[in-house]
Amino acid sequence: MAGVTLKNVFKSYDGTNLVIKDVSLEIANGEFCVFVGPSGCGKSTLLRMVAGLEDISSGDLFIGDKQVNKLAPSERNVAMVFQNYALYPHMDVTENIGFGMRLAGYDKETIKSRVDRIADILQIQPLMQRKPRALSGGQRQRVAIGRALVRDPGVFLFDEPLSNLDASLRTQMRVEIAKLHRQYGKASTIYVTHDQVEAMTLADKIVLLHTGADVLRYGSVAQVGSPLELYARPRNLFVAGFIGSPKMNFIKASVLRIENDGVVVETPHKRVLKAAVSADKRLKTGDEVTLGIRSEHLELADSAKENTLPCRVQWVERLGDMTYAYLQPEQEEQVIVRLSSKSTVSIEDNVSLYIQPQECHLFDAEGMALPRLTV
Amino acid sequence: MAIVLKQSHRWRVFATHAAMLTFILITVMPFLMILSISLRPGNFAGGHLIPEHLSFEHWKLALGISYIDADGSLVKPPFPVLLWIWNSLKVSFISAFVSLVLSITSAYAFARMRFKGRDTLLNGLLLLQMFPSVLALVAIYALFDRIGDFIPWLGLNSHWSLALAYTGGVAQHIWLIKGYYDSVPKELEEAAAVDGATPFQAFIHVLLPMAVPILVVVFVLAFLGGMIEYPVASVLMHDEQHLTLAIGSRLFLFNQRYLWGDFAATAILAGMPLTLLFLVTQRWLVSGLTSGAVKG
Repeated sequence: MAGVTLKNVFKSYDGTNLVIKDVSLEIANGEFCVFVGPSGCGKSTLLRMVAGLEDISSGDLFIGDKQVNKLAPSERNVAMVFQNYALYPHMDVTENIGFGMRLAGYDKETIKSRVDRIADILQIQPLMQRKPRALSGGQRQRVAIGRALVRDPGVFLFDEPLSNLDASLRTQMRVEIAKLHRQYGKASTIYVTHDQVEAMTLADKIVLLHTGADVLRYGSVAQVGSPLELYARPRNLFVAGFIGSPKMNFIKASVLRIENDGVVVETPHKRVLKAAVSADKRLKTGDEVTLGIRSEHLELADSAKENTLPCRVQWVERLGDMTYAYLQPEQEEQVIVRLSSKSTVSIEDNVSLYIQPQECHLFDAEGMALPRLTV
Repeated sequence: MAIVLKQSHRWRVFATHAAMLTFILITVMPFLMILSISLRPGNFAGGHLIPEHLSFEHWKLALGISYIDADGSLVKPPFPVLLWIWNSLKVSFISAFVSLVLSITSAYAFARMRFKGRDTLLNGLLLLQMFPSVLALVAIYALFDRIGDFIPWLGLNSHWSLALAYTGGVAQHIWLIKGYYDSVPKELEEAAAVDGATPFQAFIHVLLPMAVPILVVVFVLAFLGGMIEYPVASVLMHDEQHLTLAIGSRLFLFNQRYLWGDFAATAILAGMPLTLLFLVTQRWLVSGLTSGAVKG
């Protein structure tokens, strides 16, 4: 029941070690926002700053209209689900879920009715008398979510809640979290993950964070937007490479000429490719660029027509519903192409790879994307 | 768990058992001898392990009951043994309790709070503990003698001063409990903080209940330390009525006459409260002493 606003937030340890640089964000009331990024990008730190478990070095944090920089976690009306669940081992499930309410001084009947309602929602009634050590990973996760739900907080915080679960359970819990948010989602949610699939499937809004030297250079935030926006219009090479699986293919090239409906580039091996992007007055002939194309936008062509690269098939992965072929263009970086499951391509084949100009991304020497003409 | 064993395994098991039994025998022997001496008429240290005549004269005296000996004369208990035991229990309980309260709180500070000189203080505590308290006997005596001039109940011959002196051994307990706190994930207290707990509430409701096994260990160790301590008590306590058992029982063995029988009965009597304490706290002791080895 409260939005979260960050204004120019910085975090450094010991005054020197900058981990979060200049984050400004608005998370609307009821919005599901996912912080995603490679390890070490400070996404958990940012979440803990919202929770009040880490102090903010400079900048402002608002929950609702209230500035909460100096408020203790208990005063911020937030609830958090931790990566390792952090259930109280000496309390049973009922006490774990009711602990916050007990501290807040609710009477026993109120606590019981609220805890029972949560148990119904999460379907954990049979487990209520058990201690955490007698629960499986998935059950512990439910209890941890229940402990957050029961307090009816303004903001939900999830810190990599699914990373300790096995793959099938993770998918199941992901769907449930999405469902819970839809049904009971009056509260804003901030969810931290390193898994871009979780980010894509859960988020209303994704905040992708830089890591390493890029933090100092560009600031922590690489791009903010809806999942499909980040997928279709990545702002730079980092975003393009992080979002999407398999990774976007990158081909080094230089600008040959600039046309009205796109930019024509040339690979070091004199292959000519066209990308439907605007030169945006930034590019000129001869500039170093990187052409990006996702594996699903590549096709195998019969003959060497326009916009093709000759390649040799290095490896084929048949997944049943589709086939991934790993192709090696002439001394370029490997390219992955998604083919139908019926494809008969095999290792050592020589093929022509057709690159659809309208699906191409083009990045300048700085790694910044040029505006695409087709989306 | 039926692991396949070597052929020679049976012999090695036999040899191990033989060695263990010998070791147990050596350990238990002194206790059996004391028991035997306490049940034997007369005050002799030697003799058979199994007494030829049973006599409860020493036990009667230890329990403060007079008896008529073979000559028909009334033998009165020479010393107030039960009172000494009570004194020991009292002093040990006070010092164990105060030690516990001091060590759980200071260990929390050392484990969870960041402040200047934390590591130096921790190491300093350990270092000071290296010096045997016997070395400080003179100082302890002088200190309490002087304190007694101003605060009579905290001077010489006072159980409060003795308990206070024992509480000085709190450093090892701080280290022990700090080690346990360190093994508790910090997220638990963070979860409590988000749940609305103040740091003090998180300490009371989350950290302490989890630390119960180690708290029991510390209490029992401190209690045991108080019960068996001799040097400090021998300097601070003089009145017969105020003696603790450890120094009091020494009075049975004066040069002209060694009352071995009475001494033995007293010794066993003194061990009983401790045995009882161990039995009651056994459940926590085992998990406390082995905690940290396996994290559940």
